[in-house]
Amino acid sequence: MSTGEEGHMAMADRGSRKRRVGVKKGTKAARNKKLKSKPSSSDRFKVTMKNQKLFQKRARDYNSDEEEEEDESKKQPEVTIREKIFSDANMGPNYEEIEEEDGEDNDENSDGEDHGEIESGITKFATDGCNAFKIAFKAIMKKTKGDDTLGPVLSAHKHLIGEKLAEEEAEKKAKGQARKAKHLIAEKGHVKPESYLDSHEKILIGVATKGVVKLFNAVNKAQHAQKGLNPSRSKDAKVLKKRRKEAFFSELGKTKTDPKAQKSEEEAPAWAPLRDNYMLANPKLKDWDKNQETKEGDDFAAMSGDESYED
Amino acid sequence: MGRFKNNKKSRVIVRPIPKKNQEDVSHVTGDKIPKSFVFSRMKLPGPVKQLQMDLRKLMLPYTALSLKEKKRNTLRDFLNVSGPMGVTHFLMLSKTASSLSLRVARTPQGPTLTFKIHQYSLASDIAQSQLRPRCPQDLFKSPPLIVLSGFGSQELHLKLATIMFQNIFPAIDINTVKLSTCQRLVLLNYNKDTKLIDFRHYSIRLQPVGVSRRIRKFVQNHQVPDLRNLQDVSDFVTKAGYGSESEGDEEAATVTLSSDLGRVNKGSTKSAVKLQEIGPRMTMQLVKVEEGLCTGGIIFSEYENVDGKKEKLKKKQDEESDEEEDSEEEGEEGSEEDGEDMDEDFED
Repeated sequence: MSTGEEGHMAMADRGSRKRRVGVKKGTKAARNKKLKSKPSSSDRFKVTMKNQKLFQKRARDYNSDEEEEEDESKKQPEVTIREKIFSDANMGPNYEEIEEEDGEDNDENSDGEDHGEIESGITKFATDGCNAFKIAFKAIMKKTKGDDTLGPVLSAHKHLIGEKLAEEEAEKKAKGQARKAKHLIAEKGHVKPESYLDSHEKILIGVATKGVVKLFNAVNKAQHAQKGLNPSRSKDAKVLKKRRKEAFFSELGKTKTDPKAQKSEEEAPAWAPLRDNYMLANPKLKDWDKNQETKEGDDFAAMSGDESYED
Repeated sequence: MGRFKNNKKSRVIVRPIPKKNQEDVSHVTGDKIPKSFVFSRMKLPGPVKQLQMDLRKLMLPYTALSLKEKKRNTLRDFLNVSGPMGVTHFLMLSKTASSLSLRVARTPQGPTLTFKIHQYSLASDIAQSQLRPRCPQDLFKSPPLIVLSGFGSQELHLKLATIMFQNIFPAIDINTVKLSTCQRLVLLNYNKDTKLIDFRHYSIRLQPVGVSRRIRKFVQNHQVPDLRNLQDVSDFVTKAGYGSESEGDEEAATVTLSSDLGRVNKGSTKSAVKLQEIGPRMTMQLVKVEEGLCTGGIIFSEYENVDGKKEKLKKKQDEESDEEEDSEEEGEEGSEEDGEDMDEDFED
């Protein structure tokens, strides 16, 4: 709405006014120059001496500072003066111009230049429009007097903006927290090692090294033993292989494969006489070197044939 | 041969896309080489995605490094693909608000181990915390070794875990393995008191022992040493340098190499094994073992004892004691059989 005002203002006064309400341009000195140059350049109105004096008197009486402070005591006369001015302004646009200039003159004394400009714009608008509008605008301006952060904004809009900003902040916070929580869950269990070697790691490395050393030594043994023999005699190769396997497993000390290894170890040589329990397992053959007895006579005779054959 | 000639005549130049045909069966051991998929069925937050990538690199070369999973892929899709491609293990990461868990499963219907990850560190974190992070070029060209410690052989679920982990990585044949290919190591250490498994990933480095520090650095780094303070080159060679504090540890870690390993570590001389940590670091706890692939009967569950479920189980056992015992025994037998199978695979 403020921009609407400005637009209207600009449209109406573009010829005479070089400056738009609500837009601060230039310094005080520049504005003074513009002010002073205006009456001479404008063609719109002819100010008679009588009127000029009247207006100057009114300007002196009119104090925008007091109006800003909202002094209760001075308020009424101020308001009445203003209303008077407004009513007088029905005479024509001339007065509006002068009003504005006067207002602007007073503005230099006032604290808020913005307010002065705006007030002048509003007075202009108020005279054109209806009374109710004038009252409404006055009320708004009173409300926004102390407001610097959001500027000359309608109160409802200000609340909206405030709410929006608050919302955005809240959203950002919530999002940030959600992201943090997600990140925490993702990183759960992920441990970055601070020091490369602490005692536990050293123990583990020691264990692993032992394993590797065992393995390498076993390999070395096996391959070393293998070096001389492999191409030659296939018979011995088999036995050698078996022996190597046993050596390997015994080196590594694997308990799991012990029963199987032992089985292979205890696997007796294929040829009967090589077995340790060759003659002893068989009870009939057990006491072959003892004197013959009638009991075993037949068996012995039967066996003797075998013995002689194997010898 | 005729085919090739025709191709030349027609001048159709087809650039063969170099396909890495990974062998399914190791020509050394004759076993199937275990391959793995590392994936997750849900969207993972940032650091967990990196952990997944680290795990994929760990499982190289027998894994799909740039596996892309879509939201609509289900476990069944992965199962269907794994058959023809010869993938044997799935490693699945999943993150809920309260916990991060890793499931290790054997396809197609093998047992599933669920680990809850209490803490983890990424490979990049570890590299940042080190003074001299080391990553030689061919570090990931061969599969890692695995060292399991502290698991014991008593408890069933731990046994199953050891077997599963041993089978994830291809077995090595000590007779033919080249030590230069053993460049990485995965350590799983079980702590009985806290029931936590420490998971570490190291790179193996061999340093010649018994050589003075300066000469060793000179030979390794090819940096021309600063000789201006010395009278004679012999001073450089024979000067007794100060010993670093890790040299004491080297005594225990000395191996005698059977063959030459690079320029520096000659065969039949003593070298020290030095490990440097790379890769992710995890502290996990085994919470559940299921019979099937993320389905099936629960063989072991950590939280049975914590919740009031124990009471329910007790009640059941009281009421139907015989039936319960039978089913439990069956379950155990089933897993034992699996264990034995895996045993045999590993041995060979």
